[in-house]
Amino acid sequence: MDVWPFYVGLVSLLLAAIFPLFGFGLKERAARSLRNFSVLLAALGCAALVFFASKAIYFNESLFISAYKILPVLEFSFFIDRLSSFFILVISIVAFCVSIYSADYIEHGKHSKRKNMLASVMMLFILSMILVVSSANTFSFLFFWELMSISSFFLVMFEYEKKETGKAGMFYFIMTQLSTVFLIFAFIILYYSAGTFDIVSYGTVPSAAGSFGAMPAGAINPALASLAFISLFLGFGTKAGVVPFHKWLPYAHPASPSNISALMSGVMIKVAIYGLMRFVLFVFAPELWWGVMILIAGIISAILGIIYALKEHDIKRFLAYSSIENVGIILTGFGLSVIFSKYGLSGLATMSLIASLFHTINHAIFKSLLFLTAGSVVHSTETRDIEEMGGLIKKMPYTALFFLIGAVSISALPPFNGFVSELMIFQALFQSGVLESPLMEVLLLASLSIFALMSALAAACFVKAFGITFLAAPRSHEAKNAKEAPRFMLLGPALLSALCIALGIFSFQIFSLLGYSFPIPNMLFTGSVLIITYALAAGAMRFLASDRARIGETWGCGILSQNSKMEYTASGFSEPITTIFSSIYKTQKHVSRNYFDSKKSVFKDGEAGIRLMKFFEEYIYMPIGNAVGKLSYMVSEGLRGDLDIQILLGFSAIIALIIALGWFA
Amino acid sequence: MSGSFDFAFIFYGIMNAAFAIAVSPLFMGIIKKTKALSQGRKGPPVFQQYYNIAKLLKKESVYSGNSSRIMSAAPMLNIAALLTAALFVPLFFIPPQTDLAGNIILFLYLLALAKFFMALSGLDAGSAFGGMGSSREMSLSAVIEPVTIIVFAGLAFVLKTSNIIEMFRQAAFGFGVLSVDAALFPILIALFIVLIAETARVPVDNPETHLELTMIHEAMILEQSGKNLCLMELSHAIKQTLLMAIIINIFAPFGIAMHLGAAAIIAAMAAFLAKGAFLSIAVGIFESSFAKLRLFRLPNYFMIAFFLALLTILFEVFV
Repeated sequence: MDVWPFYVGLVSLLLAAIFPLFGFGLKERAARSLRNFSVLLAALGCAALVFFASKAIYFNESLFISAYKILPVLEFSFFIDRLSSFFILVISIVAFCVSIYSADYIEHGKHSKRKNMLASVMMLFILSMILVVSSANTFSFLFFWELMSISSFFLVMFEYEKKETGKAGMFYFIMTQLSTVFLIFAFIILYYSAGTFDIVSYGTVPSAAGSFGAMPAGAINPALASLAFISLFLGFGTKAGVVPFHKWLPYAHPASPSNISALMSGVMIKVAIYGLMRFVLFVFAPELWWGVMILIAGIISAILGIIYALKEHDIKRFLAYSSIENVGIILTGFGLSVIFSKYGLSGLATMSLIASLFHTINHAIFKSLLFLTAGSVVHSTETRDIEEMGGLIKKMPYTALFFLIGAVSISALPPFNGFVSELMIFQALFQSGVLESPLMEVLLLASLSIFALMSALAAACFVKAFGITFLAAPRSHEAKNAKEAPRFMLLGPALLSALCIALGIFSFQIFSLLGYSFPIPNMLFTGSVLIITYALAAGAMRFLASDRARIGETWGCGILSQNSKMEYTASGFSEPITTIFSSIYKTQKHVSRNYFDSKKSVFKDGEAGIRLMKFFEEYIYMPIGNAVGKLSYMVSEGLRGDLDIQILLGFSAIIALIIALGWFA
Repeated sequence: MSGSFDFAFIFYGIMNAAFAIAVSPLFMGIIKKTKALSQGRKGPPVFQQYYNIAKLLKKESVYSGNSSRIMSAAPMLNIAALLTAALFVPLFFIPPQTDLAGNIILFLYLLALAKFFMALSGLDAGSAFGGMGSSREMSLSAVIEPVTIIVFAGLAFVLKTSNIIEMFRQAAFGFGVLSVDAALFPILIALFIVLIAETARVPVDNPETHLELTMIHEAMILEQSGKNLCLMELSHAIKQTLLMAIIINIFAPFGIAMHLGAAAIIAAMAAFLAKGAFLSIAVGIFESSFAKLRLFRLPNYFMIAFFLALLTILFEVFV
């Protein structure tokens, strides 16, 4: 396999990350040309990577690169097989379109230095994600994983002077480091039981790296393997935004610039999915309960993600919750695949796994599309609250069209791409009858009904998002004066929209090209029939119906002055669903009354309010945080100022470690 | 491209869609007439729906100043999605085996596609009625969705196929699907409830009223006029026919044609017309004997269907 496109991609991205830094001392004009050059380089690099990855996927090749040895056991080495190249493809496609979008988007900032910093760190972020998914050993995996986490933390903190950004950044930083802690723990277990950092040689998959003292999967002690799996699941789950570790998403996404949200939601959380798949499928021999656990976590994330999304009016936070839902869908497919393969149903297992991977790329594409177009909307209306938008389809027709394509795709409507991957998961769930265990069948049926509910709620959610944002009359002065986004901010989303359609319509052909055949309908046929019937209907109407039309007023029961305040609002729209699912949204009512007299008979004034309780934050995150805080306070209180005691403690820790190592080795 | 894309299939596709367009307004008319008679009224003629279509085609279209292209695109998309869906539900002739059409999930999501754009058109004019209709429609369709899926999962579980055409083929022998497995009876009730909910009928919605407190579907299309309204109403009628056809051809497939032949086809059409008219009368009587349920009581009502369908599957799993 030709490796040069891979190197070209990496070097261009690296240069793209370095160049803007030279602009710090320069005038705005020069700094700007450096930024533009960096964006161009990044786009070229991503294009090279797209070429490289699609070739690697098509020919199903793998390759091993040993790059740099730090110590005999610690080295940077890369291994690329079909799974890695698939994720390289996902990252580079999205990064390509986001780079194009960024050419105009970055320029909206005020400080020249900061804009260069944004361009530079963004390219570093993309580069580190590519290197994570191509890492061949746990050491380089962790190194680039941390690089990815820290660069994304800087990007979240871009508008650091805002108060909410500070909170979001802190939240994100803690969660992401927590995830790394779990990963380190799992990697130590793996090293301990297999004696190598090499990811590929943990598994049974024969590879170019097989000469490094390979150890078959069975060699890892099952109890230790389960422990490592749980730790990995917690680590990757935190990064991917699986409920209940999802709370960083709705904080970090609104705070960061929109192109960064698109990258984080579109691809960074997929890197965690990659990690989970890589380790579960290639390193361990998964057990049945792992699959059940992944499936249940996926289903719960999917349904809770969308139910919380319904309540949101902040367009970017809403999209963040929807990402949680989609990660849930991806995990549902993956969990099903593990379950089916445990029952020896390899055909169904492959279909579920491919469904999960297909949804990964689909979600990467339509979610980045939605975040980018939302970014254009937020930029031109200067608010993230959809209640203050409205009527934007007339002011920003192209942005509206692209957002609509994204919304239709994410709502899983045929013939777009989101539908095909959900259809495959539905097909897999429909096959529950072939499983021998009644308990599993019931689990799959329960998942099926929740999955259907989730899918329909997503459609309701995006009717609301598109309808309230883009349709009807403008609800604010800013919305009335909104302007269409500049050309590069349209070109990026345009490419992504085209991909949404192409991946949906040609799904069947793509799968057969890659050598998979699944019992799924041919979308090319359905899509053509839809277009033909649409054309026929339009033709028939032109021929049969009167073409007289006039502009009238919206029916308002004869009211004289209709204004945008009389339109249906976003909260009104989601009210029926929030009432039906009121037990999930825990609300707290508080009423306080003041009286004129002491016997409380003459009412003076009072106030009442309903507050949506943040269940996970108030019942899980805060208690844990408080407990940790209390513990560290106790420890620091007890040891304050006594240097000798601290040295003694450090010394005893080292002694204990040595004894423990001697014990286990 | 796989499957048999041959003459029989093309003939089936065109005939099926044309037949669906032709008979749908009739079933609407029969239901209206039944309701009127049971309420002691004379009611409009059975063929009134056809006159309405002709009338609406002649009228001019009035667009709100607030509305956008969505308003005129939604009716076209609705009819396109429904006619594509008509390919998936054979009314009178079961085509040779094909994997081009018939996937149950795709069928349901084509209906969802139509609904999605109908709901958007409800929001487009900026009227509070339209918004309310869209909101209620999307909420109820979210709650009915698991029911629909589980009903079809139950059928797929027993018949071992997720293709509607194949389901019909298996049911076509003997006394419908009940002769394959009598335990499927609860599915019939569940399907009936889905039919009532999806076609916006009492006790879920009231198609007669334009009173803001009760309407759902009618509120959504309140701003539509002329040819657009005509297309909306026609696609609603086609949707009803398709859902009725699923009940009919799974539980009472008598007379359905399996081979191409003029006599068999004509007999099958007549049989479908008769069965459809009978089911329409049943729907009309059902509607007249219930009062509309409060909006937030509806999930409970749907749960009946859900549990009936689930019961069937659990019965199959454990027995």
